[in-house]
Amino acid sequence: MRPSRRQRAAEALAKVAGTEHLYTALEEFSLPVLPAFHGLLSGLPRGQVVSLDAPGALALALLAGASQEGSWSAVVGLPELGAVAAADLGCDLDRVLLVDRPADRWADVTAALLEAVDIVLLQPPARPQAGIVRRLTALARRSGCALITTGGWDGASVRLRVESSSWLGVQQGHGHLHSRRVKVVAEGRRTGGRPRSAWLWLPGPDGSVSSAELASVTNMSERQASTTTPVSSTHQVA
Amino acid sequence: MDQQRTLVVWCPDWPLTAAGTDPAIPAVVLSSARVSACTPAARATGVRRGQRLRDAQRFCPELTVLEADPEGETRAFEQVVALVEEVCPRVEMIRPGLLAIPARGPSRYYGGEESVATLIRDAVLSRDFICAVGVADGVFAANLAARAALDDTDGLCLIPSSGTAEFLARHPVSVLDLPDLTDVLVRLGIRTLGRLVELPLRDVLARFGAEGATAHRLASGLEARPPATRPPGEDLSAHLEFEPPIEQSEPAVFAAKSLADLMHAKLGERGLACVRVEVEASTTDGQSLARLWRHDGLLSSLAVAERVRWQLDAWRTAGRLTGSLARLALTPDQVVIDTGRQLPLWGQAENDEHVSRAATRIQVMLGHTAVTRPRLAGGRGPAEQVVRVPWGDTTAPALPAEHPWPGRVPRPAPSIVPAEPRSARILDTTGEPVTVSGRSVVSAPPTQLVVGRETFTITAWTGPWPIREYWWDRRRSRRCARFQVTTDDGRAWLLTVENGQWAVEAIYT
Repeated sequence: MRPSRRQRAAEALAKVAGTEHLYTALEEFSLPVLPAFHGLLSGLPRGQVVSLDAPGALALALLAGASQEGSWSAVVGLPELGAVAAADLGCDLDRVLLVDRPADRWADVTAALLEAVDIVLLQPPARPQAGIVRRLTALARRSGCALITTGGWDGASVRLRVESSSWLGVQQGHGHLHSRRVKVVAEGRRTGGRPRSAWLWLPGPDGSVSSAELASVTNMSERQASTTTPVSSTHQVA
Repeated sequence: MDQQRTLVVWCPDWPLTAAGTDPAIPAVVLSSARVSACTPAARATGVRRGQRLRDAQRFCPELTVLEADPEGETRAFEQVVALVEEVCPRVEMIRPGLLAIPARGPSRYYGGEESVATLIRDAVLSRDFICAVGVADGVFAANLAARAALDDTDGLCLIPSSGTAEFLARHPVSVLDLPDLTDVLVRLGIRTLGRLVELPLRDVLARFGAEGATAHRLASGLEARPPATRPPGEDLSAHLEFEPPIEQSEPAVFAAKSLADLMHAKLGERGLACVRVEVEASTTDGQSLARLWRHDGLLSSLAVAERVRWQLDAWRTAGRLTGSLARLALTPDQVVIDTGRQLPLWGQAENDEHVSRAATRIQVMLGHTAVTRPRLAGGRGPAEQVVRVPWGDTTAPALPAEHPWPGRVPRPAPSIVPAEPRSARILDTTGEPVTVSGRSVVSAPPTQLVVGRETFTITAWTGPWPIREYWWDRRRSRRCARFQVTTDDGRAWLLTVENGQWAVEAIYT
């Protein structure tokens, strides 16, 4: 006797439910992020793509959490990335690989790295081919490596962007940059369809990344007053 | 087991001969910022191998400096190898400038070691290459004999089997070329190989490990490792057929890397290492070429692939390899028991094997300098504070980061640092360019930043922070002033002004 439609549907659903369970199990397996990001992401999902709007301190701060825990990371196609800033935000430079100019071999280079390191930070060329994007996304999923891309990426599970940013410390003709308050917005499948946002110090007056929600800002402004130091005279001879 | 009689042909200062330098001109070849070879003229002034360039130039200011070019050296050495191969086959390349031949067969054929050595020397000298030939028991002793031969008028030095131990005993321990070990030995008062041999092997092994035992074996005229006897017929080679045949050498080098991995794995699971590796290339028109390279269990797969690249290059340039490549094979020659390497106990963590493999794979794709690791260095500007060290290299930054750097741009560090500063324009409220006088006076408060076609409104600014660096060095001397500005798009910029030209040095974003 042929199974009824209802039965078949139930079987199909059961299968899906099984895999869904598998995926959630995989998703729980994620790389740590700095505590300040916990309002946005519980961790960097292994095997998933996180896309950012532009390279910058946000990308480096995302690497920092896992790097501190001993993960290897690789940066592809971003010759301009400031390594000093990465170290200050908490990255361990001993476990960072840089491939500055992969030129037209960027996809091969990324594929090789996805299988070896825990996080790849990639700046793809302006319009990556859809086929390559799909292939790399699949490869990341298979190898369990977190892929962070700057610029758009179809199939990203989370998109992070800096919505507003303001630097503090510089006045009209005096002072120096010492901290930045940013609003980071996360959207995508992993946030449950609803955008989440958080205010962060990126970096704070003490150089670290911390939460900058209104409740903590009042504390911060007190700390700021005590840590701000006047710029020393910079007229120096090497 | 008795040592094999070995003949070594040594062309002194080969890197310079290959570059076509006149021996009468003081010149040096540099590799990783140290002198790796020098001409007799340079040596006469006090320049030595292993010196830093700075020291070498102190001895000889008019020094010509060349960069090391191993591929070119191999290409040029192919001529010498061809000459020697006409006299006897089975030439083993130790490195460009140095080759070894098992002497027993040829000496029977030509009637004595001396006549073989003379034949080879004359063949090489006929093309005006300076060379010295040494014959002794084993490659190590024969190599030293060749060095001794250079001082002889006839360029030959034959050490009989019975005299090898005595000959070796005279040499200082530094000829072992194991700096870490010989340094300790010298401090213990063991200055010559003879004194090292007097110590019991067990004690040397107990105190210095495998490296010490190797040194002891070499010093007593034995092979570096005891030979391993294998049942015959075991295939330890690795080969690959190219389908379709390939024209360029790049895919062949990549294949060589994986072949070397395979060969090392085969050897490794039997606990063996090979002394030599044979590189064999066959072309579609039925041509087959082979060459032995010294391995000693020390070469990484990438190093083997590199030698394959040099060898293919050399054959192509010499016109011996024409047509496309159909097959590449690596065969271990003379297997020995692998004594292993001592890894550091703590600190200096070994690189993760997966990472190391991926990095070397990318290096094969894009070149050695394409994969780098950032290292913090000393400097004031954000770009100076980082050096990129190629994967596998261990060069320390020239300027240490720990020293105080007064006048350094204050923290936080910018997250975007272009390799070359981008030119920009800074305008005041009237649209006039903002200038900074020699006394650090700003002509007007800046209000607009123009980078390329984009214009940003400046919301706050600070500066100038004048910099006067390297005033004693004309090439690096620099006088400029830095500014930090924030713009309405939420970014902050580090700007420099030098000779009235504004530039974006870094972006805080």
